[in-house]
Amino acid sequence: MAIANTLVPKRDTRALLIKWIIGLLVPVAVFTFIWVGEAIINDTLLTIFGLGGIADIAIFIQITLFIIVFYATVIALAGYLVAADSGQRGMIELWIDIIFFVLLPLFLVISQGLIIGLALSAVLLLIYIFIRQRVYRALHITPPAPLQNLKALDTEQQLELKNRAIVGSFWFSVALAIVWLIVDLIFYFSGQLPTTLLIWVVIRTLLLPVVGYFLGRLAGTIALRRTITAKSNGNGENATDGSGKRVGRRQLEKLSTTRVREEARDLVPNDLPQRSSGATRFYLILLVAFVLFYPVLDQYLFGFGTNGRLASYGDAGYYVILALGLNIVVGFAGLLDLGYVAFFAIGAYTWGIIGSTQLTNVLNIAPWDPHLLSALFWPMVIVAALVAALFGVLLGIPTLRLRGDYLAIVTLGFGEIVPIVFLELDKYTNGTNGIVGVHSPSFFGVDWSVVTPTPYYYLILALIAFTIFVNVRLRDSRLGRAWIAIREDEIAAASSGVNLVSTKLFAFATGAFFSGIAGAFHTAKLGLVSPDSFSFTDSIIFLAMVVIGGIGSIPGVIVGAILVYALNVFLPQQLAASATDPTSVFYSIQNGIVHFIPSFTFGNIRNLIFGILLVTIMIFRPEGLIPSARRRRELHHTEDEGAEVGALDVVPGAPGFESEVRVE
Amino acid sequence: MTLFFQVLVVGLTTGAIYALIALGYTMVYGIIELINFAHGDIFMIGTFICISFFGLFGITNSSAAPTGLTLVSVLVITLLGSMVLCAVLGIVIERVAYRPLRNAPRLAPLISAIGVSLILEDVGKLWKGITIVPFPQIFPQKFYYIGSVSFSSVDILVIVVAAIMMVALQWMVTRTRTGRAMRAVAQDREAAALMGVNVNRIISITFFIGAALAGAAALIWGLKYGNTNFTLGFTLGLFAFTAAVLGGIGNIVGAMLGGVLIGVIEALASLICDTTQPGCPIGLPHGGSAWHEAFIFVILILILVFRPSGLLGQQTPEKV
Repeated sequence: MAIANTLVPKRDTRALLIKWIIGLLVPVAVFTFIWVGEAIINDTLLTIFGLGGIADIAIFIQITLFIIVFYATVIALAGYLVAADSGQRGMIELWIDIIFFVLLPLFLVISQGLIIGLALSAVLLLIYIFIRQRVYRALHITPPAPLQNLKALDTEQQLELKNRAIVGSFWFSVALAIVWLIVDLIFYFSGQLPTTLLIWVVIRTLLLPVVGYFLGRLAGTIALRRTITAKSNGNGENATDGSGKRVGRRQLEKLSTTRVREEARDLVPNDLPQRSSGATRFYLILLVAFVLFYPVLDQYLFGFGTNGRLASYGDAGYYVILALGLNIVVGFAGLLDLGYVAFFAIGAYTWGIIGSTQLTNVLNIAPWDPHLLSALFWPMVIVAALVAALFGVLLGIPTLRLRGDYLAIVTLGFGEIVPIVFLELDKYTNGTNGIVGVHSPSFFGVDWSVVTPTPYYYLILALIAFTIFVNVRLRDSRLGRAWIAIREDEIAAASSGVNLVSTKLFAFATGAFFSGIAGAFHTAKLGLVSPDSFSFTDSIIFLAMVVIGGIGSIPGVIVGAILVYALNVFLPQQLAASATDPTSVFYSIQNGIVHFIPSFTFGNIRNLIFGILLVTIMIFRPEGLIPSARRRRELHHTEDEGAEVGALDVVPGAPGFESEVRVE
Repeated sequence: MTLFFQVLVVGLTTGAIYALIALGYTMVYGIIELINFAHGDIFMIGTFICISFFGLFGITNSSAAPTGLTLVSVLVITLLGSMVLCAVLGIVIERVAYRPLRNAPRLAPLISAIGVSLILEDVGKLWKGITIVPFPQIFPQKFYYIGSVSFSSVDILVIVVAAIMMVALQWMVTRTRTGRAMRAVAQDREAAALMGVNVNRIISITFFIGAALAGAAALIWGLKYGNTNFTLGFTLGLFAFTAAVLGGIGNIVGAMLGGVLIGVIEALASLICDTTQPGCPIGLPHGGSAWHEAFIFVILILILVFRPSGLLGQQTPEKV
């Protein structure tokens, strides 16, 4: 009975429950019933009952894992959010946010495909955030500061917080079970649900609340870790005032205005729990599960054509690596590099020359065994990356004394010289024809031919994971801090003992290293390498990825890379394709314009669209989509320069504060 | 030796055009520290504007070239028209794409400039197509000789026009009130504003003048080389920007020097013979002209290694 008592929501929790259950249930229902969740699950179950479904056991396991992780995470998330919400913000506001941040992207992805859908929703989100800011400003709404109502929690309140999480998860699963039951009954009576699956309907309806209870306990534990207890202020430091149970308001204020706001924002309970780092963990789990099992999900999500889509995501993947690599040079160390494509070319040609018959031809020796060549790919990725890094150092040495835009032009020059060298030294590189017949990698029992892009998908995924890992570790290392110090002020850094020469050279070398990896992958995937894939325009596009995403911010740069890839490569293709279809609206638009401009096609204005988007994004969000925490503070520093008090921070409650704590 | 001087003549004329474009880069950089990537494309649009002006006078590639006073008036009107239209384009770009970013992080206007450059390129593509566009050769070609070094009437025109523009610019910047205001803004924007300089207006004027010079360069480029293309702005812009950096970015005389230097390097590079052809023991594969870009940038890097602020750029002591 004790359990039953805890499961009855208290009066003040009810509003929160309604707020979050509706907020989360709608997207989950859209995914399950309108999109493919139900179909995937039924397919899995049919396999269990031996009624067909999925033939391949590996695919079956992957899909089952994905489903379990997906629903478990969402249920736990519901509990966490209910617990972590301070209840200051109204539910309508949250629901509007969820419409724009979750539902709209979901519908766009369902209707337009993954990359286009995400790119379009990113653009729409920018517009939404911009309009929301304007509306707030026009109506003089100043959202309450997240920290105003923060209290230290005593043991009793902590228990209650945990209870709230359990209640949240439990009732969310109950609601989910009921909705699901109703929908399944409708399906059953309309004859779309096999009778065998009714067993599952019963089990699920009984199981979900129990699962919800236990996941709620888990969510409660996670939420508790982010509270301020009477003893510590949430950052692991002991409170200094001896008043005991409650942390003094003055101290909280100090925390909010002078300590890093990013940490303060994560304290529980909070006004914007959906943006706290606790919730971000859950999003990350969802994202990782999705990305990891994507190749088997793809056919369910988007129908036929998995191979083509996976292949193009592989392309988007090396853009991510390139952007992350460039981010080290430009974002961390602040060295403007306009010739980054040179290292990409060096990496690509390294594997191109060794992985084909080119090397043996030039050396005039017998060609190597193709199997050996394919196996050589793995060590050669590292070698290609190291060769690129070596050239990074070579470029770095003459530029050590240069500053700002002089550095930019030298790197630009380097980026121009390298492709010319590859083009004109045709004895070794085949000049304009490029090197063809480059071997693909080999791995035990994996088919790397062009028709099965799944291995390349996982290869690029592994490379990206490696790159992100190294990036994060580097950023937080002594070297990373030295880079940032150089970016901020070279002289101050040098006088604090940072070795300018080695630090700068390391930045160039590390940046080039990742570019080399991307290059080797690019060549292996394409099976050829030719000099026209390495132009100044490419360098520019890489830079645009970094700046649009948010310079120096790792998640920002990843988003930027995907967005730019979609806008620059995918969108024009898609537009051009739909313009050939007489029923689409683009067809008539194109015909209308051709009357005035005869040479007009959508393929022809690729750069025009991209250029307009670049300018618009920069004007409305000059700091990038997801600016790094440090960058955000810097921006405010420049805006508030001259202000006497708290030049680093906006006072909570001021109009600028909301913009500060947005998306992360 | 004759060959050397001949190459020098070629280098000087090309360099004069580079220098005119480089001035636009260097002025804008000097005043708002922005690499205006769109500048080369303004030049490209300028060449198209010139062709359209010729079209207004009924001059096409096939028609007979006008003579005498008609020729002079056509050239003057086209020159002024191209300069004014380019200048207006420059101001509009500044107003739309750069002014909102005046206080943004440093790389934001750079990306914005790249965006504008891409837009202009596609506008050029839609306007005249992707093929090479012939430019009506209406200026009579006559050849003159000093010793055995030949130079044409067009070469003289190019150098004269470029020289007039540069002298006028130099006079404007050093002698007039506006020029003084420009230098003041370049040195310290806030202090200049406190002294009563209208900073926004001065920046607009800078863009106006820079783009007008590109418009002038567009006409003489067309008369000298007889063709244009929508990618021309990119290639020439790159060289012109390099010229600006070589001379010391922000320095007007430096830009002229850099432009001429790059023209000469480019011409000298074409003297290197082709090792894939017989009878060339020392040289480069496919001859020097295939490598001229590489040459320009190698020399640029070498110069910057020894003079990190360009040939005439001032070594600004670091403030602590």
